[in-house]
Amino acid sequence: MAESKFVYVTYIRTTAERLWDALTRPEFTRAYWAETIQHSKWTPGSAWEICVPDGRVWDSGEILEVDHPRRLVLTWRNEHFPEMKAEGFTCLTYEIEPFGDDAVKLMLTHEIAIPGSKVIAAVSNGWPAVLASLKSLLETGEALSAMTKWKDCA
Amino acid sequence: MSESKFVYVTYIRTTPEKLWQALTDSEFNRKYWFGCYQESEWKQGAEWKILGSDGRLYDSGEVLEIDPPRRLVLKWRNEWLPELKADGWSRCVFEIETDGELTKLSVTHTTERPSLFIEKVSTGWPKILSSLKTLLETGRALPRTDQPKA
Repeated sequence: MAESKFVYVTYIRTTAERLWDALTRPEFTRAYWAETIQHSKWTPGSAWEICVPDGRVWDSGEILEVDHPRRLVLTWRNEHFPEMKAEGFTCLTYEIEPFGDDAVKLMLTHEIAIPGSKVIAAVSNGWPAVLASLKSLLETGEALSAMTKWKDCA
Repeated sequence: MSESKFVYVTYIRTTPEKLWQALTDSEFNRKYWFGCYQESEWKQGAEWKILGSDGRLYDSGEVLEIDPPRRLVLKWRNEWLPELKADGWSRCVFEIETDGELTKLSVTHTTERPSLFIEKVSTGWPKILSSLKTLLETGRALPRTDQPKA
């Protein structure tokens, strides 16, 4: 199959609204996603980027679909590593649905239509830690300690 | 490659010892595994099974490798649904590593041939392992996973 794809599903005791905020708002992402923040107007066609604490743009792209608080699709290209940037734009999809009375299911799909992508290999390693930290933050009020500081090699 | 493979990695604020207990203790299992629990003497070569809350046998197999609290390898076959049992033996590897105050859990579940069974466990593991993390970090499992499936 001529594509690279990472899929991860997690269940979190929170609401869809709160999870949406946690995925998009700087006051949340700083806490669980290694001090990074995302800039976007969060409307289809608007620009999107992830910045690391010193202000450098690490990844950038464009918002493709927004269906608050259920579905968010964006394009994503790494801007920091030349060999990853050369692969071009990946596509990231977040899907949120209710699970039981007081929890939600989050499914994340990150893909690109080329085999053996370095970007997808890198994010496959990173997403489980980011999402575990997000889940801990929403459920306990505290992110995972290993994910609270930016490390440049990350 | 014609194998079927499911891999799941999560990070839990706990110790390897507590995680090991949560994975292998019958009473602990019931709280986050849809009321199911495992039975085994937990030594190499020992019989292993998963039973439902009503005592029915869901899966059976054998402990292939055991190194508490770091590594557990099970030989695993579904016993409940004929079409899943027909897939034959799978192999499930649990690996636990420490990373500061964090514990990393990797679960790798494979069959040598394409299988419906791995497709099924691919939807079950994220629920069970999400609930396990919640239980260890907050003391309360996630909804649905804390009781038998309807």
